[in-house]
Amino acid sequence: MIEHLGPQLFNGLVLGAFYAIVAIGLSLIMNLTGTINMAHGSFMTLAGYVAFTIVSRGMPFWVALIVAPLIAVVVGVIVERTLVRPLYKREPFYSLLMTFGLSLIAEEAYRLIWGPNGVPFSGPKELSGAVSLGFMTFPTFRLFIVAVLVIAMIALAVFLTRTRFGLRLRAAVQDTEMIAALGTNTQVLYMINFGLGIFLAGIAGVLAAGMLGLSPTSGNQLLMPAFVTVIIGGMGSLFGSIVGGVLIGMAISMTTLFIPAASEVSMYILMAAVLLVRPRGLFGEEGIFG
Amino acid sequence: MIRPVLNRRSFVTLAGAGTAAALGIPAYLPRIGEAADALKIGLLEPYTGVYAGPAENETAGYQMAADAWNKRGGVMGRKVELVKEDEQNDPGVAAQKARKLVNQDKVVALCGTVSSGVSLSVAGVSNSLGTLFMDSGGHSDDVTGKSCHWNVFRTCHSTWMETHATGYSLAKRFGKRWFMITPDYAYGHALETGFKDVLGRIGGEIVGNELTPLGTTDFSSYLTKIDAAKPTLVLVLVQGDDYTNCLKQMNQFGLLKKYAVGGPQVELEPLYGLPPEAREGYWGVEWYYKSEKTLGKNNKLATDFVAESTKRFGKPPTARNCFGYVTLDRLLTAMAEAKTTDPVKLARAIENVRFKSIFNGTAYYRKEDHQLMWPMWVAKIRPNGTPGDKFDLFDVTDIQAPEAVEQSIADKEKVCKLGYT
Repeated sequence: MIEHLGPQLFNGLVLGAFYAIVAIGLSLIMNLTGTINMAHGSFMTLAGYVAFTIVSRGMPFWVALIVAPLIAVVVGVIVERTLVRPLYKREPFYSLLMTFGLSLIAEEAYRLIWGPNGVPFSGPKELSGAVSLGFMTFPTFRLFIVAVLVIAMIALAVFLTRTRFGLRLRAAVQDTEMIAALGTNTQVLYMINFGLGIFLAGIAGVLAAGMLGLSPTSGNQLLMPAFVTVIIGGMGSLFGSIVGGVLIGMAISMTTLFIPAASEVSMYILMAAVLLVRPRGLFGEEGIFG
Repeated sequence: MIRPVLNRRSFVTLAGAGTAAALGIPAYLPRIGEAADALKIGLLEPYTGVYAGPAENETAGYQMAADAWNKRGGVMGRKVELVKEDEQNDPGVAAQKARKLVNQDKVVALCGTVSSGVSLSVAGVSNSLGTLFMDSGGHSDDVTGKSCHWNVFRTCHSTWMETHATGYSLAKRFGKRWFMITPDYAYGHALETGFKDVLGRIGGEIVGNELTPLGTTDFSSYLTKIDAAKPTLVLVLVQGDDYTNCLKQMNQFGLLKKYAVGGPQVELEPLYGLPPEAREGYWGVEWYYKSEKTLGKNNKLATDFVAESTKRFGKPPTARNCFGYVTLDRLLTAMAEAKTTDPVKLARAIENVRFKSIFNGTAYYRKEDHQLMWPMWVAKIRPNGTPGDKFDLFDVTDIQAPEAVEQSIADKEKVCKLGYT
């Protein structure tokens, strides 16, 4: 048992990084506009399929890793402008239902375009091997994934705290009316913010497609853990999403080791426990949503 | 305020409502304008979700059988019509839709299903409705074992057949220390029982058995346990997208180079979704479009089926196409021969009748348990297909007679009581 501990912790970390990046995208969109984006997983799948198409046309994986999320962003921004925007002033469940419907439509659309079965997609040849970490051998591609996700998170943090736009974004989360009164175009702010969230989902989508499988349902399978991550980490806190993601990843891999049958429910038990002790999540800020 | 208020409590409620909605999408819409005297067959398949691929192919097989009969003038002068419903891979939804098909659409029989849990659910409902149910694609032993019913027939192989057809030949090739990755539901548990029986007979050992929930995306936590267990063979029992994920990750962890890999069954659908470097091993095969061992020598019926199906659907048929075709063709043959749609008379007309079809040799639905007794095959995977045919991934090596790999009639009679009324 004990010899598995190191590898399992590491597995949990990779899984957690995934959940975190998806959760951060969800949080960004939710914090600013109150939109619970149920179609977030669909954007991940979209980026995965676009990457698959790019690679199968003979272009390298690296191109796909950049271009596919950007295409997802373009689609995301169009969705935000045409479908999500009219619902900003309504109760949150309007946009929740709309995005949920959108995710169903997207799933069927992917099925029509790319077929109901999974498609073969893997990481680049250069990262296909496994490296020895001393206590275990670990796939190079997974190490690369962790690196990309960590860089993405750091870049986001710098963007939000060190740039003028990031400042506006954070200010708008606190008080949209005031920011609007001071002359910021909040509609543009909403749009860029939505695009940013989708971009993160897109990167996660391409990486997930290389590591796991790629089928019409694959993105949605990662969505529920991401929602739980947001709740555990605390709404309104991006740092909370990172901690939440890692905690869930650890919980799943540790229960797989000791009580495999409970691996699926472990994240919900963790969520219940966190909510009992801290109803607003670990790093949730009270009043951030008014 | 520009934004509406959203707090943690309403978020949890909304997210919960979203999930609930995901699990119970409106069941069905009534159909109008159907031909009055068509012979309706209810087809329940998981058109959405992880088994959508197999569902589509089974349906293609059903459609080909229906079209073939309609071309010949239908059955008893009536046009055969498939009434399709999406059972969403959910036993509850399937039960509801089975009732709808029988009560509202007035279908004369039910067919279909992919997941064993759904098959068992439809088997139970159809029994209470007194309607024939032909399970084309749910493999769990119980369907023709302890949960058998007089009105239920099964076309695909039982888990017992799959495990016994592959177990002995895998042990011969790769030794007797097995590590199993098992899906944690009816189908997986049934496979586990089958393999334990095989190992019990040949004196082998299960050195690890990981039960993975259906829909597992990340297998790393299970895979990292393999090294310490030191198996001679890793048996992968999961199916569909789970199979793709598992094999892909085994390759990433370098396990496919270290250990022999195989399993009771692999379907072409998930295999096509794997990158070539992760296609590996020896697997049970339930039918294959390109081998004399599976199709039989000079079997025109089979070669015609393969040619027509390939032309019509743009890709070669899989075992799922075969299940759909054989199931409906047998049901309609029985109706035409017995000149009735009465369920009891039909059931009697199907039992123990030997027939030739699109596979090698003859087969029959066994009278005692209603399992289709037909051969099962073992194949080695060719990762890149053959020159000119990238779909040609199986090199079929062994053929197993059904009687040698299914439980004996005596054993079956101990658990299966058909309960004719």
